[in-house]
Amino acid sequence: MDDKLSREEVLHVAELARIAISESELEKYQIQLKQIIDSVDKIKEVEVDDDKMLIANWSKETTLREDECGEMLSPKDVINNAPRHSGNYIEVPVVIGEES
Amino acid sequence: MSNYIPTIGVEVHVELKTNTKIFSNSTNGYGEMANSLTNVIDLGYPGTLPTLNKEVLNLAIKAATVLNCKIRREMHFDRKNYFYPDNSKNYQITQSRTPIGYDGYVEIEVNGVKKRIEIEEMHIEEDTCKSTHRGTKTLLDFNRAGVPLIEIVTKPCMASGEEAKAYLEKLRELLFYSDISDCKIEEGSMRADANVSIRKNESDPFGTKAEIKNIGSITNVGISIEKEIERQSKLYDNGETFKPQTRRYDDKIGDTVLMRVKETGNDYRYFPEPDIPFVYVTDEMIERVVATIPMLPDERRKLYIEKGVPEVNANKIVQNRSLSDYFNELLEENTNFKIASNLLLGDIAAYLNKEEKLITETTLTKDRFLELIKNMEDNTLTSKNLKDILNKILEDTSSISDIIKSSGIENITDDSAIRDVVRKVIEANPGSVEDYKTGHDRAIKFLMGQVMKESKGSANPKMAMDILVEELQ
Amino acid sequence: MKYLNKSVLELHELLKEKKIKPIDLVEEAFENIEANKELNAYITLNKEEALKQAKELEDKEVDNVLFGMPIAIKDNIVTKDLLTTCASHMLDNFTPIYNATVIDKIKEKNMIIIGKTNMDEFAMGSTSRTSYFGAPLNPWNKEKISGGSSGGSAVTIAARDLPFALGSDTGGSIRQPSSYCGIVGMKPTYGRVSRYGLIAFASSMDQIGPMTKNVYENALLLNAIVGKDDKDLTSAEKEPEDFARLIGQDIKGMKIAVPNYFMSDIVTKEVKEKIEETIELLKNAGATVDYVDMKYLDQAVTLYQVIALGEASSNLARFDGIRYGFSAENPKNIKDVYFKTRQEGFGTEVKRRIMVGAYILSGDNAKVYYNKAMSVRAAMRDEFKRIYKDYDLIIGPTATTTAYNQTDSIDDPLKSFMDDVLVNPANMAGLPGLNVPVGFDSSNLPIGMHIIGNDFDEAKMYQLASYIEKTLDLNLTPGGEK
Repeated sequence: MDDKLSREEVLHVAELARIAISESELEKYQIQLKQIIDSVDKIKEVEVDDDKMLIANWSKETTLREDECGEMLSPKDVINNAPRHSGNYIEVPVVIGEES
Repeated sequence: MSNYIPTIGVEVHVELKTNTKIFSNSTNGYGEMANSLTNVIDLGYPGTLPTLNKEVLNLAIKAATVLNCKIRREMHFDRKNYFYPDNSKNYQITQSRTPIGYDGYVEIEVNGVKKRIEIEEMHIEEDTCKSTHRGTKTLLDFNRAGVPLIEIVTKPCMASGEEAKAYLEKLRELLFYSDISDCKIEEGSMRADANVSIRKNESDPFGTKAEIKNIGSITNVGISIEKEIERQSKLYDNGETFKPQTRRYDDKIGDTVLMRVKETGNDYRYFPEPDIPFVYVTDEMIERVVATIPMLPDERRKLYIEKGVPEVNANKIVQNRSLSDYFNELLEENTNFKIASNLLLGDIAAYLNKEEKLITETTLTKDRFLELIKNMEDNTLTSKNLKDILNKILEDTSSISDIIKSSGIENITDDSAIRDVVRKVIEANPGSVEDYKTGHDRAIKFLMGQVMKESKGSANPKMAMDILVEELQ
Repeated sequence: MKYLNKSVLELHELLKEKKIKPIDLVEEAFENIEANKELNAYITLNKEEALKQAKELEDKEVDNVLFGMPIAIKDNIVTKDLLTTCASHMLDNFTPIYNATVIDKIKEKNMIIIGKTNMDEFAMGSTSRTSYFGAPLNPWNKEKISGGSSGGSAVTIAARDLPFALGSDTGGSIRQPSSYCGIVGMKPTYGRVSRYGLIAFASSMDQIGPMTKNVYENALLLNAIVGKDDKDLTSAEKEPEDFARLIGQDIKGMKIAVPNYFMSDIVTKEVKEKIEETIELLKNAGATVDYVDMKYLDQAVTLYQVIALGEASSNLARFDGIRYGFSAENPKNIKDVYFKTRQEGFGTEVKRRIMVGAYILSGDNAKVYYNKAMSVRAAMRDEFKRIYKDYDLIIGPTATTTAYNQTDSIDDPLKSFMDDVLVNPANMAGLPGLNVPVGFDSSNLPIGMHIIGNDFDEAKMYQLASYIEKTLDLNLTPGGEK
């Protein structure tokens, strides 16, 4: 078994996670991510009933909310916290043609 | 063209008609000031958590029912992870493992042929925010973020743009009639994507898929699918292939254009949403919701036709929800439904259009309408006279007979009065009388017209005709 | 004048009799914090507002035992108008416009927020060293780590700055630093305390809990923060109860299980011996203590890595520099906004964990790892439930060691996970867990016992913990008198 992930594997997860990584970080992550993933791999060996799954220890079912309007933020509140805004809008560099 | 077999599947997103958003209690509204309908949950602020709107579940159960879906009784939500500026948490809460509805169908009719369009599944999810592109910037308005959606996915079972169009029309009618959604494509409350592939033989595997996204109208869905079939056929005819891709329909050039080629499948990293425990749908919930489903369009059409309404009228009435509801009220009465439908779709519809009113906003109660129909049926009131008093009929509350009387246009049903007029007309038009006697049928229509003219339209037409024929002997 | 070395009940009497005012406690807390500045327990102090609030309380009736009490809040719990950073550059300018539900609850009791405590960045770590603001120091020995991720809260309580703190616990983050710092820390049953306003790390495990110098005061704070919250669908609907009600009752006849795995070679000899001594104490008091075999406990860390990191990669996706928080300067395009904001805004540990989480959920891995983990998780919970058929409580050590050096294993990506090997299982099964100090190692560093209860059985855990506390009567004030 390799003791590190390939560059492509690291770049792929970095892409999924939207994190830029430098060349020196890349090398470090190749080793460190592999260490964690190897540790995680042990889960495959556990013998267990695959039909049962626990998402969380929920003590009850979802309580449904009545369809009644509550308080809202003002547009000013919304844009005040945003790093970039224009008028009442939050602004980002143009996004066209990517997935939606 | 087409010696190919097209296969089409359609995915439709429909915004649900609720007061509040799916996972927060901010207002579900359209056309308001940007970012004025949000709270910290819609914006994905740290530490915030979703709650689940009861009405969303009700409307989804309703939709599943009218789409003949099986309803899942125990479900959870899932997270679909992808980064995009319109996606406030960079994950969308949706249902991938346990969609609320599955194995449904909708019946359509194209060129007289009936077909079942099978629905694979329908699930509940949240809408994204609205982006507007301005030069080098994209502006984000989160009013739409968290608006409840259902996504309805058909099996790849349609064979033409026409079928897809018919399916969407049917879907819109059903969802609109059951008060699930406004289904306004122009406001984005109904959005359709189509997957199109073609193949040579039924036994071949499906061809490469192209997805046509966000088509602006139902008509364009039909056109864009046909165009796409044409495009793919040409490629195959020329021995070319293409990669799975996403296209959009450009209304200006009347064809689909490439948006992007799909690389490997999207990696949405779905996993169960831990913030929302199991949701259970009980028999009681379903019963309660089903009780609120009004009579659906197909049944209405059928009933109207059974009652003697011409098919074309029946279809037209059903296209107008408030008119159809009004018409339904009449169904238990013993009246002339053909005349009723003509009245509603003719002068009354014109009035409603002009005044921008609903039928229920006029003074035409059921009883007054029945009286009106009766007066029309026995010729007490002619179409021409009706036009003169229509405003009164729709705006006054007095009885129809009072309106007719007070308008002085009461139909002359007095035999001798009509006979006088008829004799006068015969005297004044000897030429036409002669024509009639030599077998020119058209002459009687002219003479009849003269009688009506002379009586200022108030002679009972049926009586007038009888007397005219009698006097001409 | 010094008041804060007194018990909360004594302080409450003094307040009621108007012998002291809330402002006396608040001022003293800030003096203590100032004197212990070096410990780096706080990220933000709420001095102006706290003093103002204390003044306002002077006219109000002292209507509950927590009235006017100073409290410190872990900095991943959202406080309106008070900087909430999660110890991250990503949020170092983030002033929330809303309160966490627990904050509303402690405000209802008229407790006074003194400041926001230091922690591992986004609660990811077991040492608090991943904080963007530098690590807090262990009051017992400043060379040592505080533990984490709720390190700042543990430190400020251990240092006796003030009586109350809130922490959060995803895989041991309340209990493990409580063990290293010699305080009482409770992670309640999943759903006991609303998570609304707790900046999510792993939503299916996160719980807020009280951290205090003794068991009784811990129960008092838990009383104040529990309850169903309409804003958190995972919060549990339970009849109100007094968690202190069993404190002082004897433990004769109590049935206690010790999983063999908890006392295996993963635990150092010194820790193990101290736990064994305590077990003897319990037996002498008439409790039954049995060593039992439990399956899947050795899988807890692996489970944690799959589920916590999977959830975290999704939970932390919202930090993208668009709606709030840090955003990279001069992005050329939307890609820059995402990639650079997240590269510069997150620290190494956080980035590493997010990437592993993305890997685990990516493509077919979701089935191989995540679905499998959910099945193992179900099996582990069943295993706990099996034990609770015969036993009241499960005990063992909280940590495998005592606090280690600040400079140890700093670049080992697995160490922080292994530190929580004994505390992870409670989070996986959603069960309550509590640390109670039981002694010291040869370097005079605290050792803690871990008590795991059945669902919603916190009162019984306090009963056992208080018996241990009373019987051992340890001096738990670092370098000073009690």
